[in-house]
Amino acid sequence: MLTLLAVVAASAPWLAPADPFTLSGEALAAPSRGHPFGTDDLGRDVYTAVIHGAWSSLMVGVVSAAAATAIGLIVGGFAAIRAGAVDHLLMRFTEFAQAVPRFFLVVVIVSLFGGHLWLVIAAIALTAWPATARIFRAQVLNTLGRDFVLAARACGSSDARILLRHVLPLTAGVIAAQVSYQVGGAILSEAGLSFLGLGDPRVMTWGTLLGAAHQTVSEAWWVALFPGLALTLTVLGCNLLGDALLPRGIVSKR
Amino acid sequence: MTADATMMRWVLGRLLVAMPVVLGVTTLTFALIHLAPGDPIYLLAGDGGSPAYYEDMRAKYGLDRPLLEQFLRYIRAVAMGDLGYSFMFQSPVLRLLLDHAAASLLLGFAALALGSTIGFGAAVLCVITQSRVLDAVLRGSATLAYAAPVFWTGQIFILIAAVKLGWLPVGGISTARETLDGADWLLDVARHLVLPAMTLALPLAAVIARVSRASLIEGMGEAYVLATYARGLSRLRVIGRHVIPNALVPVTALIGQHAADIVAGAALTEALFGWPGVGYLVLHASLHRDYPLVTGAFILISTSVVLFNALSDAAIAWLDPRIRLQ
Amino acid sequence: MNPRPAPHLWIVAVVICLSPAACSDASRPTTPATTTLVVSQGGDPGALNPAVTTSGNTHPVTDQMFNGLVGLDEQLNPIPELAERWEIEDNGATYRFHLRRDVRWHDGETFTSADVKFTFEEALLKYHSRTRAALEGLLTRIDTPDPHTAVMHLARPYGPLLQRLDVVEASIIPKHQYAGHDLLSGEPTRRPIGTGPFRFVGYTPGDRLVLERNPDYFRQGLPGVDRLVFRILPNPVTAVAALENGEVDYIGSVPGPDVARLRASPAIAVVPSTGGSGGSVCQDVLIPNVTRPPFNNLHVRRAFAHALDRRFIVERVYFNQGQPATGPISHLLAWAYTPEVRQYPHDVRNADRLLDAGGFRRNANGERFGVTFTHASNHHRLGQVLREQLKAVGIRLDLEVLDFNAQVEKVFVKKSFDLGLASFCNGADPEIGVRRVYVSSNIGPFPFSNGAGYRNPRIDALFDEAASVVDRADRREHYLAIQRLLAEEVPYFWLIDSEGLRAHRRAFTGFRLWTGAFAETVRLAAPTGE
Repeated sequence: MLTLLAVVAASAPWLAPADPFTLSGEALAAPSRGHPFGTDDLGRDVYTAVIHGAWSSLMVGVVSAAAATAIGLIVGGFAAIRAGAVDHLLMRFTEFAQAVPRFFLVVVIVSLFGGHLWLVIAAIALTAWPATARIFRAQVLNTLGRDFVLAARACGSSDARILLRHVLPLTAGVIAAQVSYQVGGAILSEAGLSFLGLGDPRVMTWGTLLGAAHQTVSEAWWVALFPGLALTLTVLGCNLLGDALLPRGIVSKR
Repeated sequence: MTADATMMRWVLGRLLVAMPVVLGVTTLTFALIHLAPGDPIYLLAGDGGSPAYYEDMRAKYGLDRPLLEQFLRYIRAVAMGDLGYSFMFQSPVLRLLLDHAAASLLLGFAALALGSTIGFGAAVLCVITQSRVLDAVLRGSATLAYAAPVFWTGQIFILIAAVKLGWLPVGGISTARETLDGADWLLDVARHLVLPAMTLALPLAAVIARVSRASLIEGMGEAYVLATYARGLSRLRVIGRHVIPNALVPVTALIGQHAADIVAGAALTEALFGWPGVGYLVLHASLHRDYPLVTGAFILISTSVVLFNALSDAAIAWLDPRIRLQ
Repeated sequence: MNPRPAPHLWIVAVVICLSPAACSDASRPTTPATTTLVVSQGGDPGALNPAVTTSGNTHPVTDQMFNGLVGLDEQLNPIPELAERWEIEDNGATYRFHLRRDVRWHDGETFTSADVKFTFEEALLKYHSRTRAALEGLLTRIDTPDPHTAVMHLARPYGPLLQRLDVVEASIIPKHQYAGHDLLSGEPTRRPIGTGPFRFVGYTPGDRLVLERNPDYFRQGLPGVDRLVFRILPNPVTAVAALENGEVDYIGSVPGPDVARLRASPAIAVVPSTGGSGGSVCQDVLIPNVTRPPFNNLHVRRAFAHALDRRFIVERVYFNQGQPATGPISHLLAWAYTPEVRQYPHDVRNADRLLDAGGFRRNANGERFGVTFTHASNHHRLGQVLREQLKAVGIRLDLEVLDFNAQVEKVFVKKSFDLGLASFCNGADPEIGVRRVYVSSNIGPFPFSNGAGYRNPRIDALFDEAASVVDRADRREHYLAIQRLLAEEVPYFWLIDSEGLRAHRRAFTGFRLWTGAFAETVRLAAPTGE
């Protein structure tokens, strides 16, 4: 299901050749032949907007999730391997990062510094890594007792190497699942920001469409329905993917 | 030491750890706000003034002191319980936050109650009836409900219930025209609460349904359950007295884990419905550079989250004797 | 159904069933004919001292509780209010006001000239941004020879003084209440005492503010309603819905998409308004940075002006809440305005020609050059429309969206921008809100000043002359010259003369929408009904 989405996003230039920002129709026209999803309040085609929005929403989701995961892996991994004081310090830091009201922090950052795309991505990533860190640390602690790890240590492998070559492949399932969930979460976070009007206005994302739709929802239901549907289906896909990636025996935490 | 005393110590220990966290949050917010471009004086004072005027106003609001001094004064004030004075509202921050917190808590608890009842209840139903169809429907709708963004489902609800059918109000917390009191007011607020609570409850119900289902199934298979069957107790009694309470444990843990998401969802719901809660307040405050309000809100929220986590951990320990004895 | 029905669900179910009942006769028993006007407001008023703020959230409320020395009629001419008559002496360097003797403050004290002196010296000239900017140094002394006379002495003749003395620009506050308290945050700001048609009853932050009729108001027979309730509804969707279902009677701004629907509703009247609290007769103006390329080139500016399709912008972006602007003075300031100036109709070919002639050729992509448009997020639709319109003439418009504060700083303070946008309100007189945008003395690092950096000594001189004369016909001549000259130079791009729409339920009538005190003359349209 997610592959379908990826295909759609990649093929956006062909599926919807028009520039989504062109003002091609009357304002607020109902779905019709020329405009299968109708038009928004400036006369832009909703269908085109939704298709192009796929690319930006996905991009933000994937990049921030990747960044968050990377940070989380590093922090969690090192905490588990080094143990002792380092672990304690890193874990307290993680707790602190989790106590900060995540959503509001992102809102504050974006509203203060402006809605540039990279800033949005950075803000989301910086607030989403603690969950990954915790999970990875637990996983690492689990595998540390295994024989081959002890063997690797005896050979003199560095910590980083052990993490990379031995632990990571074992925990790949859980990590991959986590990444999937993160992508879904990041997409939702970005959509929430755009909905509030804080996202990058040069980029058309689904959240922006929904935010603009709120004003006119009583007149033009189509401007709200389609982007929202797209969002839901995408996040759904991510969650399903995550569930599928989990190794058997672990109950999904979602 | 008795088990209860150990737990008390443990809870207190958690609270102590919370202090540096809150301090850290305050510092972070303060730094962020002052690093950001833009000078709040132009929003505070009027437009069209002269440079001398703005200098005077800056001095009046204490914005011209060096940053460190502003920060230290602030910390000292907070320690004494004074969270400052809101620029926008021209009234004490703490009072503003508490007033709005009431609305947020109302929404939060209503959504929580609704969500957990529906979610847990649906899971219990599934387990009791052991129907395959029901099970599939539950899993499917839960996954869908969790993926949908709250500001979209809220919009749909508004569209259907308020605009097309006109049953319920579009937003706000109480009717604009009359100033009601007593029972009238309660009813009015309840009417306004329905849609936002439903919106916020949806993803909650989904999560709770899935986890409850899993832990209920697990619980049903436990040895002691089979043992009680052997003793001849009716199936319903067994489920009611044993399986369900044990299944509540992971549900409570889950709520604690998802606290951040709940807070985010609540803020978006408040923004959508114009529900005057803390989330709504923070959104407006950050847009208007209301430093004292934003920082104060952050302190309040992070303190509550930390407290809530500690309390929910304690609740879990209380519910599950196995954990307590560790 | 559900094996464990929660009590909450029961309450919800009961509530839904009872809601029609709760809705219809929810009023408590009060005196039978109490009429209440409910007004929707977008934000909290904050501190209720009108003499120290220009906030558009505070004044709609306080303008109903206070008065100015004069009032303004529909043509923005001064009419008596707290001053029943006045004399202008020394060619406009001295203004003598004779105050009414029958005015009382809401707490019973008598209004005197001491209040006027106090208001100006302690409040307006210190904390009110516009008054201080204009009158500091100009208004040298206020004499109060007796409790009912106030004399203002000016350093030089000043024509537009009276337009600055209405309740919007200069509300008079009570000396006896404010003496010894902080004017910005002291106790009197929470329990305002004024002289106006309504008295303060209570304020719940974030929720509502209640005023009641002042039975001792000096204008007989007014106000026409008994209670005035301001509901704080920041979400425009909620506000419009509340208007439609009768929960509020008046909203101060109508979101574009709802205009057609509201107009069609038989119970609601949609009316244009020119003035009001906190800023009247406003224009949205694009600000080019004329101190550096490309906008330091007159041909580029003229081409740019031709590339804009103002009609489309007004229609689509502003939902027809206004008319295309032709110059620095809005057509709503009729006595000073003229359309007989150089126009810049939407003409892409002319624009192309001008740019080609200026040496800005198109490159392989069809682009001549790029400029960055710095604006706040609430104007993002405008930015997108502009981008499309400028693409047609080969100008690439990069959109830079910042939050309101940051963009004000970038454009006006740091001045590191190409193109900005601001809403400049002309005010009741061009001297109030027009002059500051075009005179070279107002180029500096503070907001809503001459952001473009435009310098023209002739313009400076014309504005000075216009302010130093009292007779309107004389002043008009100067403003005509100003408009002609500015249209030739086009240092700013004037987009729209805003005509904000307001909407109210037809059950009420008598809204005075050109002034801040809009509720003073409101009354029920029919003898019964609510």
